[in-house]
Amino acid sequence: MNRKSRILAVAAMAVIFLTAVILAVHFYVKPKSDRVNIISGGQIVRTIDLSTAEDCQFDIIYEGRRNTVEIKNHTICVISADCPDLICVKTGAMGADSSGPVVCLPNRLVIEFEEASADGKSG
Amino acid sequence: MTNTKRIVRAGLLTCIALIIFVVEMQIPLPVSVPGMKLGLANIVTVYAVYVLSVKETALILTARLILGAVFSGNISALLFSASGGFMCLTAMLILSRFIDKKHIWLCSMFGAVFHNLGQIIAAAAVTGTLSVFAYLPLLTVFGCIAGLFTGICAQTAVNRTEKN
Repeated sequence: MNRKSRILAVAAMAVIFLTAVILAVHFYVKPKSDRVNIISGGQIVRTIDLSTAEDCQFDIIYEGRRNTVEIKNHTICVISADCPDLICVKTGAMGADSSGPVVCLPNRLVIEFEEASADGKSG
Repeated sequence: MTNTKRIVRAGLLTCIALIIFVVEMQIPLPVSVPGMKLGLANIVTVYAVYVLSVKETALILTARLILGAVFSGNISALLFSASGGFMCLTAMLILSRFIDKKHIWLCSMFGAVFHNLGQIIAAAAVTGTLSVFAYLPLLTVFGCIAGLFTGICAQTAVNRTEKN
């Protein structure tokens, strides 16, 4: 491996790493909108406006498998599930300071913020 | 090397990869992101890429993925680990032609990046949403660090076994 290709490879790796760091930080900043979509098996099953939503709990069922979703203090989280890894529960709440989507891959569930749309709402 | 020796070597490496995989399952991670793992079992894959033939490496990876899914009891994760695993393997096989044995860590880091990419593409296809891509940067950051570590381990193993 000559000097030139070595520098090229290290530089490419550094660019990938730094881009990832910047995007990762960007991803954890404030959410873009108040509206969240709950997507189960690729279909939007519910859309909730977190700024006005009452505290509540409900189940999302996909092919007989269950995730219990809780809305509390204008944040949303999965409080229990019958998936094996419980990553969706450990992800915690999204709302006030986390815009990261809550994902439960075994149960095909995604809770994500709706992309800011032109509905005139101030974010 | 005789065929018998080749089979035994591939079997042993699969076994080592599985043991690492099972032990790794017991190590808790401070953050929980879907699909985030240390991926220590990849040490064996990286080693195999540099020492064994393409066919043998692919067989070891396939056996490790399937048996790993059986041992972890998480068959649904097989799709993600397989798409990530093979994407990583393809990338490393191509890169190993350009990156010599003194820079295996670099090859492993690129492999980790492609592993994450493959996982996320599978997750996006399964959930039917693009928002899972939001996890890609975070996975890549940790993947690079884990890839660097597995690469250094594999590099040490490759260089030490060649001396004998």
